Amino acid sequence: MGEVVLEMKNIVKDFPGVRALDDVNFEARSGELLALMGENGAGKSTLMKVLSGVWPYPTYQGDIYLRGELKRFYNTKEAEAAGIAIIYQELNLIPELTVAENIFLDRQMTNAFGAIQWSKLFAETQRLLDELNITDFKPADKVKDLTVGKQQMVEIAKALSKKADVLVFDEPTSALTDKEVAALFEIIRKLKRQGVCMSYISHKMEELQQIADRVVVLRDGKTIGPVTPVADITLDQLISRMVGRDVKDMFPKGQFQRGEKVLEVKNFEIDNPDLPGQKKVKNASFCAYQGEILGISGLMGSGRTELVSGIFGAPPGPARGEIYLDGRPVKFRSPHAAIEHGIGLVTEDRKRIGLILGQSILQNMTISSLETVTNVLGIINEAKEMDLAKDYVKRLAIKTPGLDVKIDTLSGGNQQKVILAKWLNIKPKVLILDEPTRGIDVGAKVEIYNLLNKLVEDGVTVIIISSELPEVMGISDRILVMCEGEIVAELTRDQATKELIMAYATGSRK
Amino acid sequence: MANTAPTQAQATGSPQGEGARAFLKFLKDNGTLVALIVLMLIFSFWDEAFFTPRNLTNLARQTTIVGIIAVGMTLVIIINGIDLSVGSIVGLAAIVVTLLMQAGVNIWLAILLTLLLTGVLIGLWNAFWIAHYNIPPFIITLGMMTIARGIALTLSEGGSVPVTNQTFGEIGGGFFSVALSTIVVLLIVAYLLFAQYRELKQKQQYGIGVKPQDLITAAVVTVLAGAITLYAFSYRGLPYPVAIFAVIAFIGSFTLQHTKFGRRIYAMGGNEEAARLSGININRMKVAIYCIITTLSALAGIILASRLNGASPNLGNMFELDAISAVIIGGTSFSGGVGTIIGTVIGAFIISVLNNGMSLLEVPTFYQLIIKGCIIILAVWFDVLSKKKRG
Repeated sequence: MGEVVLEMKNIVKDFPGVRALDDVNFEARSGELLALMGENGAGKSTLMKVLSGVWPYPTYQGDIYLRGELKRFYNTKEAEAAGIAIIYQELNLIPELTVAENIFLDRQMTNAFGAIQWSKLFAETQRLLDELNITDFKPADKVKDLTVGKQQMVEIAKALSKKADVLVFDEPTSALTDKEVAALFEIIRKLKRQGVCMSYISHKMEELQQIADRVVVLRDGKTIGPVTPVADITLDQLISRMVGRDVKDMFPKGQFQRGEKVLEVKNFEIDNPDLPGQKKVKNASFCAYQGEILGISGLMGSGRTELVSGIFGAPPGPARGEIYLDGRPVKFRSPHAAIEHGIGLVTEDRKRIGLILGQSILQNMTISSLETVTNVLGIINEAKEMDLAKDYVKRLAIKTPGLDVKIDTLSGGNQQKVILAKWLNIKPKVLILDEPTRGIDVGAKVEIYNLLNKLVEDGVTVIIISSELPEVMGISDRILVMCEGEIVAELTRDQATKELIMAYATGSRK
Repeated sequence: MANTAPTQAQATGSPQGEGARAFLKFLKDNGTLVALIVLMLIFSFWDEAFFTPRNLTNLARQTTIVGIIAVGMTLVIIINGIDLSVGSIVGLAAIVVTLLMQAGVNIWLAILLTLLLTGVLIGLWNAFWIAHYNIPPFIITLGMMTIARGIALTLSEGGSVPVTNQTFGEIGGGFFSVALSTIVVLLIVAYLLFAQYRELKQKQQYGIGVKPQDLITAAVVTVLAGAITLYAFSYRGLPYPVAIFAVIAFIGSFTLQHTKFGRRIYAMGGNEEAARLSGININRMKVAIYCIITTLSALAGIILASRLNGASPNLGNMFELDAISAVIIGGTSFSGGVGTIIGTVIGAFIISVLNNGMSLLEVPTFYQLIIKGCIIILAVWFDVLSKKKRG
């Protein structure tokens, strides 16, 4: 085990009304990966912001030591200069520029006239990529043409090019395919051998066992327990440190009686708007019944999101096919029409197209069903609206200081619950959820599963897309597997195994 | 709140420090209102002709034209749009309504036709391109600005059109009697105080943090505004156009705050794609909003023609910029999703107080332009600054 590189001592950070970090202590060593675990809202992001100078020195209390030296960062530049690099969930790359330009964005090699020396730039970038064993893309490729996984590699190369020796990954695998995750881990192992000190924020337990050396848990802004070698702690112990209680059953499953056929989709196709002749969804046909949870599995880009958006009246390109609701043919030209027929869609990208940021949780909750709180003239009955919202806050156990709080300030799990409340209030017949638990802590996940079970009991047809195999297998009655725009398999709960789903999803079995 | 440490330092300070802090917060939350009051005080002390019933009545009348357009512009800017054609529509509407009357059309029919032809129809045209073909509103309305001005010049053959109809002149030039005006103003003040109180009670009941200080501020401002209004209208009473403006501003404000339509406007401005996926018919909303602003502009044109007792095709030149300025000064964010009609009304008054006051002080027109420009930049800077503090 290497020497201690980074040490954070007694870190306290206050926001008005809340103490986000409360006496946080840990140290990270060179050549190791320290996993930083905790539920959303536990303070992980705040801690990283303190480390990277986003919250500059006098706004927190406590000390940061780098190789034994007390450091006070007054801005992010200083933290960067000291060798700290953070690879955020949301990538900070410029899509229209090349890989090389992105890596050397603020330090491009120029000649005396200020013109970029392209050959030197590309050569230097290639050297960097070689060092990392990256062969999937070239320095001259445009970033927008790379998958999210490869973009992450670019971020890592960028950090290393700045001679960073403390690397922090903020949920790096949440948008990656298994193959990309494997490639990322390969790089992380290589960096470990080079003695880089790394910290890794994640919710995914399996990954930690694969890649992390030691783990520290944050809960409610406090470090829970000491920094522990991963080999010395069980999964259950970790979870109980994170949630403060035992989560015996991660995937509660209700027992339902399958009812009528509610939704039937026949020969559904969506063209790819960017590539003429290609299709995002090919000849998809399936049924969903009352009293069941239908899971849709598949890799990212397999057309899952496009399929459900298409059904919901918001296809990414021209769509064809038949949809039957309760046996009657329907055609939704817009989400508006789909909602009027009782179909709700919890979208995948919560921040970008799910939430209306900057507005209150009340406004976010009722925006799809204003009819329920307005009179004939369209005037809102505010008392009724607030009663309704208060009811959902109670029912879904949404943690919020009030109804008029901006939705931005809630944690991911609570934001998702607000969105669920929004869709519950349209009294849905069919509720489609696209990756509803991404970036959400364990406790909130279980609450959402329980809620879905309850919905099915009440007669709602639930369709759920998930990349996490344990999740989709744990809560679905039936699972569709998609691969390259096609539905390649339909498995019952009993048939489905991790291996079988992966085999279909990767196209190795047809 | 990046500045935790200084706040803590202040918290340990004297009660005086706390009072100063509350005052600073008040300044930050009500910047435009304070600016309006300060401007009015400055001009009142500088020139005694400013704070007279006669001048204040004029000032209110001057505010109405741009004010009416600015109400519509608020909606457009909240949804991340812009409408540059409004100034030309003012000119076109003025020409069309006067020409129709000249041709012997009944005045009410002429007004209705003008609203439909130069208001609704142009709005539909703008919205068709913006909503259906996704062309940036800046481009479409820029084109319309030139087209409408061209039509106005063509119809009037470049000259002005006189108005002979007495009744028509009343719309922009008439007054309600002083007695009636007084009763109306008192009733409105009483209603506003009651509404503020009711809202406070309701919000407190639902645990929404409203401080009694906010209510007191609102009440004081309401009473103050009422008093100034009564004083101003002791000159000849409430001018018709001011009444029209007040009604439009009230309807606009009520719609934004308390109706389905208003909620949807804010949602669209906050995140258009999320709003669409929440079931809002974005295209229909855009059609409605772009028709509302053009119709209001046509109405402004009619009132202007009435007040001037005639129309010239160049009326309303640069009004789009005044309207946008009023909206921005009033705190509506250019990045969408945020803004109020009340703010816009205050913004419109700031602009006309500046115009009126500087003219009284005989500031040369050239300098007036420079000062107005600086104030707009200041307002936007303030907006950006207060956002940064919050973030």
